[in-house]
Amino acid sequence: MNQDPFEGRSVIQFTSERDRRAFLKYAALVGVGGSLVGALPISNVFAASPSPSPSGSPSPSASSAPSGSPSAAGSGTSQFGAGDIGILNYALTLEYLESEFYQKGLAANILGDDAKYITPVAAHEAAHVAALTATLNKLGATPATKPTFVFPPTTFTDKATFLKSAVIFEETGVKAYHGQVVLIKDVAILGAAASIAGVESRHAAVLNYLTQMPPVANPVEQHATADEILAAIKPFLGA
Amino acid sequence: MLRSIWNRRSFMGRTAIGAGAVIGGSTAIELLSTTRVWAAAEGTDGDILNFALTLEYIEATFYERGNAASLITDAHEKDIFATIQKDEEAHVQALTDTLNKLGVAPVAKPTITFPASTFASRDSYLKLAMIFENTGVGAYLGQAGSITNKDILQAAAGIFGVEARHAALIGVISGATPEGGIYKGATETPIAKSDVLAAVMPFIGGMPNTGFAPAQRSVNYLPAGLAIGGAAAALVAFRTRGSRTPPP
Repeated sequence: MNQDPFEGRSVIQFTSERDRRAFLKYAALVGVGGSLVGALPISNVFAASPSPSPSGSPSPSASSAPSGSPSAAGSGTSQFGAGDIGILNYALTLEYLESEFYQKGLAANILGDDAKYITPVAAHEAAHVAALTATLNKLGATPATKPTFVFPPTTFTDKATFLKSAVIFEETGVKAYHGQVVLIKDVAILGAAASIAGVESRHAAVLNYLTQMPPVANPVEQHATADEILAAIKPFLGA
Repeated sequence: MLRSIWNRRSFMGRTAIGAGAVIGGSTAIELLSTTRVWAAAEGTDGDILNFALTLEYIEATFYERGNAASLITDAHEKDIFATIQKDEEAHVQALTDTLNKLGVAPVAKPTITFPASTFASRDSYLKLAMIFENTGVGAYLGQAGSITNKDILQAAAGIFGVEARHAALIGVISGATPEGGIYKGATETPIAKSDVLAAVMPFIGGMPNTGFAPAQRSVNYLPAGLAIGGAAAALVAFRTRGSRTPPP
């Protein structure tokens, strides 16, 4: 069927070996670091992805989102609104998180020379928040309100922890945007979301570089469902 | 009609904001005010994939030759360049496979030539690498609205993101300015197919049977990164030579 030109030989599929190795290396780091496991429960997004096929059914892990995840009014992006509005509000929620994370990181003044790489990243995330908010307003929709975020106390106390957290937030953001690419209906919104996603990829690459992690774990970006992402960021959502 | 975010001017505006200024609401509103790139499909999915394949051939060959020249000596950097080469080769393979699946003939690999100075130094290699990667990012983004098959869209987006990673990494390795070098603002900027082809044509001179004719018009827009050294000279030379319309 023309619907699935990739069939067995998916563009995604051939990437699995390197992805697996990257994950193992990551896991090893977490194991050594110890505190990172507690500090960054978001790491479960790495185990939950990638989905085996771009057109595959939702990953089984999606349904294992902890109860009490912000899906009381539906699942996926629909809890944020219908269709593209829901997707934009979902993206906005993630950008709120990233933006606050970087603002706090810069304010903590722990980055030394690496601040020059992070300052623009913080500005980009703030710009994404502002842009998504304005866009939702323009579309006549109500932008999602900013949640109260909680970060583990060690997040902003030393550079290494902060940068490792940043890697995870960026990789999560990349997967989140790529998970929505084929779900967005409006072509202008697709273009805008893609143009943000590319910037998140740049961030991810730089942060991996700074932390000596594999900066390009796969020849193509991986993607994750909204439920997977929301489960991953749940620990950062306050009451 | 909504104003385009995809024009050069608004991109420059966002770059300025990315540099650390306060984010104004009016800038933000531009995010979805798109009209330009998505207005007209630039061919079938097969055409788009063959366009992408041509770019990936150039990139893969570029890194094969550049890495063979041993210009990058730092172990970490060398590792990154080896990865980038593998990525580009994987893109060639994936695009070829996909075209075959679609029943569309993949374009043949063109004859690829680089200016003699390209692989003469680490600097020249890095400079052209930056140009290719940022052009690739814009090229893929420029096609995002034209792809009809969802699987192809997912894959093309996935490749696009990786090209953005490459661009950023080469920026870091080059010691480029963070904003404007490593990063290109808060959003990526698409580049129209005709502009991309005009930019890469100097490297695929004499290409037989690729389906791509030299650009039919002069190109006034080139990505900022293209204005660098020898490559820029080559591009300018091409525009003079290859353009079939009188210079403005």
